[in-house]
Amino acid sequence: MSAPAVQCLFLTRQPLPEERDFKRVLVIGGDAAARALTSRLAGQGFQVLLVGDTEDGIHGPSILSLPGAILEDVQGFVGAFDVTLKTAGRTVVERVGFVVAAQPADVVLKFSDHGVSPSERVVSLSEMEASLGSGWLASLRREEWLHVAFLFGLTGESDPYAFSRVLSALEAFRQFDRVQCYVFARQLKVAADGLERRYRACRERGALFFRFDGEGPEIETEAGGPSLVFVDPLLGQEMELDADLLVVDEHVSPPASLGPLLKTIPSAPAFAPYLQPESHRFSGVETARPGILAVGASRGVFLPELIDADIEAAAVYLQKFPASTCSNHSWGPPEIDQAKCTICLTCVRLCPHAAISFRKKAEVDPLTCVRCGICAAECPMKAISLAPPDTANSGLEDLVKNGLDESTAPERIVAFLCSRSAALALDAAGPAAAAGIIPVVVPCAGAIDLSHILAAFRHGAGGVVAAGCFTGNCASIYGTILAGQRAEQAGEILEASGIDPARVVFAQVAANTPGVLIRAFGGLRSRLRDRA
Amino acid sequence: MRSCDPGPPIVGDRAEYILRDDMQTHVLIVGGGVAGLCAATELAGLGLESVIVEKAPFLGGHVARFCCKATDRCNRCAACHLEDLLQDVRSSDRITTLERAEVVAADSSEGRCRLSIAQRPHRIVPGLCDGCRECVRVCPEPGAIVDSPVAGRLELNQSVCRFFTDGSCRACEEVCPQKAVALGEPDRTFVLDASAIVLATGFKPFDASEKPRFGHGLVPGVVTALELEGLLRDENWTPPPTNGGTEPSVAFIQCVGSRDVKAGRNYCSRVCCGYALRLARLLKHRFPGLRPTMFYMDIQTFDRDFQRRLSLAEKEVALVRSIPAEIRKGVDGRPEAIYHGPQETRVVESFDLVVLSIGISPVMPDLPLPALAANEDGFVGTNGEAVVTNLPGVFVAGTLQAPRSIAETISHSIRAAGEAASYIRNISKG
Repeated sequence: MSAPAVQCLFLTRQPLPEERDFKRVLVIGGDAAARALTSRLAGQGFQVLLVGDTEDGIHGPSILSLPGAILEDVQGFVGAFDVTLKTAGRTVVERVGFVVAAQPADVVLKFSDHGVSPSERVVSLSEMEASLGSGWLASLRREEWLHVAFLFGLTGESDPYAFSRVLSALEAFRQFDRVQCYVFARQLKVAADGLERRYRACRERGALFFRFDGEGPEIETEAGGPSLVFVDPLLGQEMELDADLLVVDEHVSPPASLGPLLKTIPSAPAFAPYLQPESHRFSGVETARPGILAVGASRGVFLPELIDADIEAAAVYLQKFPASTCSNHSWGPPEIDQAKCTICLTCVRLCPHAAISFRKKAEVDPLTCVRCGICAAECPMKAISLAPPDTANSGLEDLVKNGLDESTAPERIVAFLCSRSAALALDAAGPAAAAGIIPVVVPCAGAIDLSHILAAFRHGAGGVVAAGCFTGNCASIYGTILAGQRAEQAGEILEASGIDPARVVFAQVAANTPGVLIRAFGGLRSRLRDRA
Repeated sequence: MRSCDPGPPIVGDRAEYILRDDMQTHVLIVGGGVAGLCAATELAGLGLESVIVEKAPFLGGHVARFCCKATDRCNRCAACHLEDLLQDVRSSDRITTLERAEVVAADSSEGRCRLSIAQRPHRIVPGLCDGCRECVRVCPEPGAIVDSPVAGRLELNQSVCRFFTDGSCRACEEVCPQKAVALGEPDRTFVLDASAIVLATGFKPFDASEKPRFGHGLVPGVVTALELEGLLRDENWTPPPTNGGTEPSVAFIQCVGSRDVKAGRNYCSRVCCGYALRLARLLKHRFPGLRPTMFYMDIQTFDRDFQRRLSLAEKEVALVRSIPAEIRKGVDGRPEAIYHGPQETRVVESFDLVVLSIGISPVMPDLPLPALAANEDGFVGTNGEAVVTNLPGVFVAGTLQAPRSIAETISHSIRAAGEAASYIRNISKG
C-alpha cells in the first residue's frame, strides 16, 4: 500500500452544515439484516430511510422504505449528509445524519472455476437450498441410492459461513431415504459456533469428506450426469464417482453497490472493495469517514450471528456519536488561513476521512475531522495549522524549539511520536530509554512535516526520530507512510548539505513494542557519540 | 478513570472514599481484560457508569502477555488494541477500576443488585518499591514474587507465597529496605449497587499437560504458543541453538486442546491458525534463516484477506496436514515429532523448538450468583453469539461465551454494552 496518487473522487463542494440532525439515518440494505437494523434503530427513536430492499420493505411511523432505490451519491458531513437516491426513474435528494451500509454480500458463482456448466444436475449451493423443499430431488433419483457431491473451497479459500451452509444441506438430506453425500474440499472451515460438532455428526451419520492437498477431483459432465475422478487422499487409490447431483459452492464478496460510498473517501483505495479499513483502529462498524458505517458484508462479516453484533454496534455508535465526538479531541481542529489557501485541493484529496470541503476556500468539518494533521503537514502553502493541546505552544515547531531550549542532554535527540503508538511505547520503555530524548507527541505520524524535521536541526537537534504506527495500523490509513516519506526526504536534504543522513531515523512502532523505540534511540545515540 | 488503585504512599482510603461518595453504578463488569475494558468504554460512551472488578493486580488479562506480531507491517493481531482501551479507560470519568478484587456476595432484587466486593491491598506497594529485587533474592518459594506486566513492578502471588499458604515466612518483608512489602495488610470490602452485570471473565488456555504425548513439561524445547508470546515480547530473545550448524527449525502443532472429542473439546478454538501463522511469520522475520513448519488438520480462515495471507505464509512456512502422534526427546536431546506423512508413511523429524498451539478452554466464572447456564461445550450462555444469559440483567462479553479473537471480542463486547444499556433503560422506565 502506498499513499494515493491523484485519483478521481467526488469532491464535496458544500458549505459546512449550520444545523445537523443526528436522528435521521439512511440504511442501505437488501435483506433481513437491513430490515432488522431498521427496526432496531426505529425502536431507539431514530427516523430511518431504508433503501435497496429486495422485498416490499418494512413500514412504521418512523420508517420510510424505498424498495429498489439505489444510492448514487453522498455529499456533506456527519449530521448533514445529502444523499442522492435514484428510484423509479426519479432522482431525490434526502438529508440524513448517518449512512449505514448493510447490503448483503455479492454471490460469486464458481461453475467456470471447475470447468462445468450449470444444469439440472449441476447446481449452485443457493439453487440447491432454494429447491430442497420441493419434489425436485426425487426426480433426480436414477437408482436406489441418490449420490450427491459437494465441492467446497477447492478453487480458493472458503469461510465458515459457506461451510455452515454445506452442513445445513447435509443435515437436510438426512430426512430423505437412501441419500449418500460426499464433500470434496481442501480445508474444512469449522471456526464458528457449533460447526465442528455438526461436522462430526454429519460424518458419523455417513457423509464422506475427502480433503485434498494437491489436485482435487476431475469433473466430467458429458454423459448424463456429473462424474468425479480423483485419487483418494488417504488411500492413494484412484476412484470414480457418478453423482446424481453436483453442488458447487459459491464465494461471497463485498457488495459492488458500495461504489458510490467508496468514491467519497480519499483513503478508500487502501481498503476497497470493503468499506471498513482492516484494522482494530476501526472497532465495531466504524469506517474511515465518521458518520458512515459498515455492517456485515461491507466490512467482511458474513455469518448471520456476527451480523447481529454489527447491528447492535451500529445502534451503539449512533446513540453515542454526538456526545463522544465533540469531547474526544485534545488537539484543536485545523485552522485554514484563508489568505494563504490557493484552493490547490491537496488537503481535500489527501484527507483520509473526507473531512475537508471547499467552496471559495478549503474548510474543515470539525465533527468529521479526527485531528490527524495530514492536511497541515501536506499543505504546500503552509496555510493549515493544528493547535497542540498545550495552549502555550502555538504549533509543532514551538514544541520542538521549547523542548530543545529546555533540554540539557548531550545528544539532543528530538523524537516525533505518534500519540497512538510511539508515545505509549515510550511510556512502556521506561525512564532509562527516554533519558535525554526530547519527545514531541503528534496526534498521528502523518502530522510530521518535512519542515518540522528540518526545524529541529535548525534549532540545534543532534538527531531526529520520527516514529509512527506499523503500516496497516495507522488510524489515518497512510499517515505513517507519509511520515516515512518525509523522514526519507529530510535525510536526502541533509545529505545534500553534507550532513550525515542517518541523523534522521524513521521507526514503525506499536504501543506494545517499546524495544523498537529503544533500539532506534540507542542506534542514533551511538552514531552521534561516534561522530563527536 | 477513577482508579481505586491508590498508588503509594497510601493516603487514606481513596477507593473507599470514591465508592462511599456514590454507592451506585449502572453496570458491574467482572473481568478487566479486553472484553471488560471494551464494554466499559462503550457504556461510558452511552453515558453509563461502570465499575470493573479485576482479580489480577493489573488490567489487560491474557492480552497483556501477548506480543506484537508485526513484521515489516502490521499483521492485524490487534494485541496493541489493549493499550488503546487502557488509555480510553484511564481518561474516562465514568469508569472505576478495582484491581486485585473479587465479588464475594451478591443480592439481587427489583432490578438492582447489591454486591460485596473484597479488594486485596498491594502486597508490594508500587512507588515505595524501587525495584532493588532484594525480596526476589531472599524468597524461598519460586514463583511467589514475579515481574508484573506493568513495566518495573513486582507482584506477590498469594497462592504460592509461604506467608499466605502456611504463615511460615516473612523474609521479603523483613529484607525490603523501602518497607514496600505489606503482607499483613487486611482486605477491604466495598458494597456496591448495580443495575446490570457484564461478565467478562475470559477463558483458560488449554492445559498442555492434559496431552502428555506432545511432551510439554517432559521434553526440553516444547513450549506452548502462549509461552512463545511471552518469549517474543523480549525482543532480544533468540531460538535455542541448533545441533549440526543448520538454521534452527520450529514446529507448530495445531489443535492442541481443540477439535478433540477425547479431550472434551468438540469445537474449534478459532484463533490458533491465525496466531500460529502470525507467530511463524514473526519468527521468520526476526530470524530469516529459521525454518518454520506447521502441522494442521484444516487451516481456518481468520480474516477477510485470508487468501493473500495464506499464500504469503506458504512461502515462509512448510504446511503439513498431519498432527504428530508423539513429541519425544531425540538422541541429540532435541524434540522430535513422529507423524504420518503422505500415504500413511511414518516420519520422524527433529526440531529445535516445538510450539503447541493450545486452544481456548471455557471457565465458569466463580461468582456468588445463581447457576449460569452453559452450552454443550461448557461456555457460558446458550445461543450462538448472543450476549444474554439465563439470569436477567446478567450479560456476557468475550471468550467466556465462545472462543473468539481480539477483534471478535471487541464486536461481542460492544454488543454486550449495547444490550445492557437497553436493559437498564427499560427497567428504569418501569
